[in-house]
Amino acid sequence: MKNSYFPGCNLKTEAKGFEQSAIAVSKALDAELVEMPEWNCCGTVQTMTTDNLMRRIAPVRVLSRASNHVKELKNSQNQVITLCSMCNSTLKIVNAEVKENPNDLEKINFQLENDDLVYEGDMEVKHFLEILRDDVGYENIAKKVTNPLEGMKIASYYGCMLLHPEKAKIDDEEMPTVMESIVLSLGAEVVDWPYFKQCCGSYHIVDRDDIVNSQVVKIIRNAKKTGANALIVACPLCAYNLDNQQVELEKLGVEKEPIPIFYFTQLMAIAMGLPQKVNHFEDHHINPILLLKELGLIGKKK
Amino acid sequence: MSYDYIEFGDTEKEFTSKIEEISGQNIFSCYQCGKCSAGCAFSNLMEKTINHTMQLVQLGKKEKVLQSNTHWVCASCLTCTVRCPREIDVAAVMEAIREYTLRYEPETIERLDLPEELLKKIPNIALVGSFRKKSEL
Ligand code: SF4
Ligand code: SF4
Repeated sequence: MKNSYFPGCNLKTEAKGFEQSAIAVSKALDAELVEMPEWNCCGTVQTMTTDNLMRRIAPVRVLSRASNHVKELKNSQNQVITLCSMCNSTLKIVNAEVKENPNDLEKINFQLENDDLVYEGDMEVKHFLEILRDDVGYENIAKKVTNPLEGMKIASYYGCMLLHPEKAKIDDEEMPTVMESIVLSLGAEVVDWPYFKQCCGSYHIVDRDDIVNSQVVKIIRNAKKTGANALIVACPLCAYNLDNQQVELEKLGVEKEPIPIFYFTQLMAIAMGLPQKVNHFEDHHINPILLLKELGLIGKKK
Repeated sequence: MSYDYIEFGDTEKEFTSKIEEISGQNIFSCYQCGKCSAGCAFSNLMEKTINHTMQLVQLGKKEKVLQSNTHWVCASCLTCTVRCPREIDVAAVMEAIREYTLRYEPETIERLDLPEELLKKIPNIALVGSFRKKSEL
């Protein structure tokens, strides 16, 4: 089974390990992510204004190109898959909005004429987590595990964008289970913690890192207190804030003993015994290899 | 007790309607339960709480709303939106206040003020997000 996949900007830069581990995992699970051609930035944050159609053009262009890509792939469902939770949310919301407002869609399509594109409102947007839950199934993930993640105690960090708002959520907004179920099927331990969707401070990292730091302290302390030795995320911005700012907080003498941040797909790749290079751990600010070695999860003689 | 201090003339009305127009929300559905402020992770950094801001928008108190840092501290996490018992998209109201300012006031972030080192390191989604929320870009 092949799926049309929209990477978004960060998966090609800071989050290469997220993309490459996800693609490797998707192939191993027969739900292959195939990059769509000629994609553009979705705009990252959706506009919450009623009157700004300009901000909705980029996502619609992506949807129309993805729709063409699905036709090329043959036997693929009318859906485009994302990995970044911000892209996922923006594309899902705009998709729902234009389906509800055909007049807006008509105006946007008029703008797409130059690209010879038209969006018919025929696509669904899905996060890879939804594919793993609904198309692949947790049992089938468990079947592929050759290196169970014994000793890993994982706090699943959803952040805001996987669960908010109604139009974009992939799971119950107050009691999500998809990440935890994946963690269990990899043989790791699930940590039950209340800060799973406490906002990391998001784009404030650009000019108000104090806001981000105060959030990171709360989130990380809570994770450690509940016994976690690692966090998993599904968003390159959450990843950066939690990873890099722990290092900054250590420099400031606020927080000690940082814990590593993984993309959920990196843990899947390790548990499924896929080649380690897909994880690009060299891009991380807190070295995740130390913990993996300590627990004997990598570097074992076969 | 007199309520003379509550004026709701054309100026006030104009501000309230503009915020309603940009956000697409009925500001007057807010019944001041305070759930938005209680659940917001950033309430402690805000000069005015979110529900207070909602009330000031109802009253058309433009200066007081714009002077406060509330809407700039908001990180658009949408927790308030999914929890409001009156089904108001509260985050969209915060966005409308930002938009109102951006449409009529000068920009708050100058790209060139950001150190080169930071620009290289920070994920592009943070930069795009920040510029989209805090500037006219
Ligand atoms: S949660 Fe909704 S009704 Fe309650 S104070 Fe906030 S905006 Fe008003
Ligand atoms: S969207 Fe803004 S105001 Fe609402 S809870 Fe999140 S940070 Fe607070």
